[in-house]
Amino acid sequence: MTGTIGRWMREPLLQFLLAGFALFVVYDVRNGDTGPRERSDRVELTPDDLRQIAFAWVAQGRPAPSSEELRILADARVREEILYREALALGLDVDDTIVRRRLAQKMEFLFEDVARLREPTAEELKAWFEGNAERFAVPGRVTFRHLYFSPDRRGNRAREDAERALGRIGNEGIDAPAAIALGDRFMFQDYFPDRAQDDVAKTFGAGFARTVFQTPTGRWAGPVQSGYGWHLVWVDSVTPARVPGFEEIEADVRAAWTEEQRAVIRARAFEAMRSRYQVVLPDDLDTGDLVSLAATETAGAAGAR
Amino acid sequence: MRMSLRTMIAALGASLVALSAGAEPNPEREAYFGETHVHTSWSLDAFALGNIHTNPGDAYKYFKGEPIKHPLGYDVKIDTPLDWAGVTDHSEYVGVVNMANEPGSPVSKLPEAQPLILKARTKEEMERVALYAINTLAAGPPVKALMSPEIAGSVWKRNVALADEANEPGKFTSFCSYEWTSMPSNMNLHRNIFFKDCAKVPPMPFSALDSFHPGELWDWMDGQRKAGNDLLAISHNANLSDGRMFPTEVDTKGRPIDAAYAASRVRNEPLIEIKQLKGTSETHPLLSPTDEFANFEIMSILLGNPPGRIPHIVGSYARQALKDGVALEDTKGFNPYKFGFGAAADSHNTAVPYRQDNFFGGHTFSDGTIEARMAGTIVGGMFDARTEGTAGLTGVWAEENTRASLFEAMQRKETFAVSGPHIKVRLFGGWEYATSTLADKDWIKTGYAKGVPMGGDLPAPTATAKAPTFIVWAVKDPTSGNLDRIQIVKGWTKSGQSFEKVYDVVWAGDRRADKWTGVVPPIASTVDVEKATYTNTIGAVELKTVWTDPQFDPSLHAFYYARVLEIPTPRWTTIQAAKLGIAPPDVVSPTIQERAWSSPIWYAPSAEARKAAPRGTTVADLTKAGATALSDAQLKALIVQKSVWLQNTVTGEKYMIVYGALGKGGAAKGVTPAQPGYVTQRFPADQGQFEVRYIGRNVAMQSLTGDAVEGSYLGVSRTYTIANGRIVTDLVGTPVEIAVYKAGDKYVAARSNEFGYANYEIVPAVAQLNALEAARP
Repeated sequence: MTGTIGRWMREPLLQFLLAGFALFVVYDVRNGDTGPRERSDRVELTPDDLRQIAFAWVAQGRPAPSSEELRILADARVREEILYREALALGLDVDDTIVRRRLAQKMEFLFEDVARLREPTAEELKAWFEGNAERFAVPGRVTFRHLYFSPDRRGNRAREDAERALGRIGNEGIDAPAAIALGDRFMFQDYFPDRAQDDVAKTFGAGFARTVFQTPTGRWAGPVQSGYGWHLVWVDSVTPARVPGFEEIEADVRAAWTEEQRAVIRARAFEAMRSRYQVVLPDDLDTGDLVSLAATETAGAAGAR
Repeated sequence: MRMSLRTMIAALGASLVALSAGAEPNPEREAYFGETHVHTSWSLDAFALGNIHTNPGDAYKYFKGEPIKHPLGYDVKIDTPLDWAGVTDHSEYVGVVNMANEPGSPVSKLPEAQPLILKARTKEEMERVALYAINTLAAGPPVKALMSPEIAGSVWKRNVALADEANEPGKFTSFCSYEWTSMPSNMNLHRNIFFKDCAKVPPMPFSALDSFHPGELWDWMDGQRKAGNDLLAISHNANLSDGRMFPTEVDTKGRPIDAAYAASRVRNEPLIEIKQLKGTSETHPLLSPTDEFANFEIMSILLGNPPGRIPHIVGSYARQALKDGVALEDTKGFNPYKFGFGAAADSHNTAVPYRQDNFFGGHTFSDGTIEARMAGTIVGGMFDARTEGTAGLTGVWAEENTRASLFEAMQRKETFAVSGPHIKVRLFGGWEYATSTLADKDWIKTGYAKGVPMGGDLPAPTATAKAPTFIVWAVKDPTSGNLDRIQIVKGWTKSGQSFEKVYDVVWAGDRRADKWTGVVPPIASTVDVEKATYTNTIGAVELKTVWTDPQFDPSLHAFYYARVLEIPTPRWTTIQAAKLGIAPPDVVSPTIQERAWSSPIWYAPSAEARKAAPRGTTVADLTKAGATALSDAQLKALIVQKSVWLQNTVTGEKYMIVYGALGKGGAAKGVTPAQPGYVTQRFPADQGQFEVRYIGRNVAMQSLTGDAVEGSYLGVSRTYTIANGRIVTDLVGTPVEIAVYKAGDKYVAARSNEFGYANYEIVPAVAQLNALEAARP
């Protein structure tokens, strides 16, 4: 029996149906229009029910349903209602993991609604910003040119060639043709203005990005290795990271504050609820006995947890 | 002086860039890598599996590079942050209407929402609300207040709000998107729906609870588009569709695949997801037996693993669909399968593993620890965790990193798929590219100016052009393996048959292509399986070439796409086996060649050019000329216990099929003369074996013949039966039926997958297969 239910539970379509039941239960209880349902052999859809079905259809941005479409929708509703009642009669809602989790999930959503209702005062927000300023730091930026020494062309001499080129480059400037002629054609740009370290890392790899930010400005340096080979680098300028003023980024600060409130209120609301319960756990949370369970798990029950 | 001027310009440029929060649009387009398929706790199945705490906002954080929590509580961080993403929680059970009418919900308190709320369950009241919905939501301009995050009273609206919050034009783009989760009879027909912008998304997405028929989804999408809300669908896991993702005969309602179906599908589904955690949908070794790299991260299962069901291979893979598409175009005048490629995750963890060396699974508890994975946990009762692959990504060639620019690129199919690493690939097709084009720094401009990029249709050929030429270019991911080779996969059709061929067009190192076949030998492997390491001492950083189709026939429909292979690197299972000190699993390859796939470019002959193609014989032609179809009895007399020589009149290829005796309901059959106790066969009534012989390894075979070479030289047989006037065979359960017609003194045969053509003739026995006059170059 448990095996069969376990298999059913893994059936995603059934999961959706069960989710639908869960919504139904919540909806009906909240509306309080039916009270505890009596088991009845009568399934009646009133014209008003049909209008509500049509409303759900229209709310998805479609034209009003044709009478044929409405008949199909009504059939579907009747089917859902019958399966729902049969499932309730069988007690399938009781102790059902999916139903339990869906309801728990809706509670989590409720917490978030609560979090969204509160707005910080200007002072509160500013004080919070000052305490969390480092989270809003704008990363440093670098502007550089590079000469590429390609392993496709030079094989394992690429690094050596780059070193030799550095020796020969002397006082050539950032875009002196004599300097540029020493390197190979690169697949992307040769000049990268105003890039954050993440951007440089996306193009060249993290190691290269780190090195470029530590390279002295105003002269050729290297060789520096990237994921493509070896490079000589001329760093034009480095702008260090900075924290913008509160006024510049108030909207971002507000969003971050709200985000944090969400977590805080979730935690607080749960704590408040939990305090009304006496939670009893075994003293000794020894996992020794559970090893044998793991074997059963591997045999096929894993997906249903 | 020049120096300081330059610095000034740079500084000025920098401040301008900072102001516009991103680079100027690049007319030559940039590759932007993004995720089109991920679930958070807001998907009920993910939540039920134990992904409880993270929402779409956390997913966007992860994609931007911040560490987040795996559902098991440990931190996970992406290797290379993405440029864009859309979170696709399941749309089913997102009960907006219910929740909008829920007393006390934030929605119900909004003045703008009042007209949506039923004051009573009366006819008049329903009518009023419905009218309001029709006039305001469907027809009129969107009500701003209802679209704003404050009223996010439903999961869908919150999803939209979080996508808007994460969106930073020029830096990171997040889309409004969701998954339509249709799976009738466990056949995966899922689609991810992407909206061009979030301002006009409907109050409630169209879910599979509304309809599981793709056709009805497309109708709904057409309606949305008409209302000014552009959107597109990306199908995924064709490999799990039980053959139903790419039908050639009837749709899910049993209606014929016709021009209207094709138009609707092409209008709404420009892209397919070709690779994800649950396998690859490019092709399968049984569909592409001559493609030595077809066996890549194959997973053939059905969702929910229904007992007693063996998934169909035919109809479940993209390359065959592209081939069927051009065949349909040629024979019936419409092509439902003109799609581009992307790849994605389908992780249910909010976070996504893209790399072999950072693989943490995609299904919470069942594959969230190295022990669970390497113990071969059967995830969801469906598949061995060790056979799961890394997530793929979609590369998009767009002018800038914004919703509009990326969406338009997806619509024109200028996209490519990667198996995980950020490999970049470009493909241009045209008639005028010089072989020296790539030596020019401005070759990309030439690519666009004189041809079309991936996803496009070749323009009409120039007067002097003999064959189309392709510029193909790829660069490795700087944090991953070097490149092995680029291949061009070509598919074409003739007389209802379709064919494919994989060309090696440019490769690393000094390997030489085989003189006769053009096939490039495998690259060496630097992988140390025991230590799970590799080095980039082989392979190339960049590969590029200009390639001309050497076997072009201007009268035939065709398509071309590029496939880029990395050098072999250790698969995640090998890395984690080394960590545990156990043997690498024997259920997967210890190494992997990561790859990229460009979207195809299509060629369609002009009406004039098409006339040059041989007319071919159709069943209708035969019937009209008085030919008669053989009955079961006539078929039995013709082939049973005979060795029949056939000629494929399209390719000219001749081969033999040996049809064994038909069984007698499981009764044992011995050899004649009898040798007591030696049973040679025990088949059900009217079922027997057949075996194909003399097929060469380099012959381009027509579709759905399975591995004919294996049959020819290893003696492998399959089963056949005769029923309803057909010789019935199958390819992994999909029937392939042959009808035979007597036309004058000839026997002509038609296969059921060749769109009405009769392409086979019974011919006299062949004495020699390789006439030397023809074999000499």
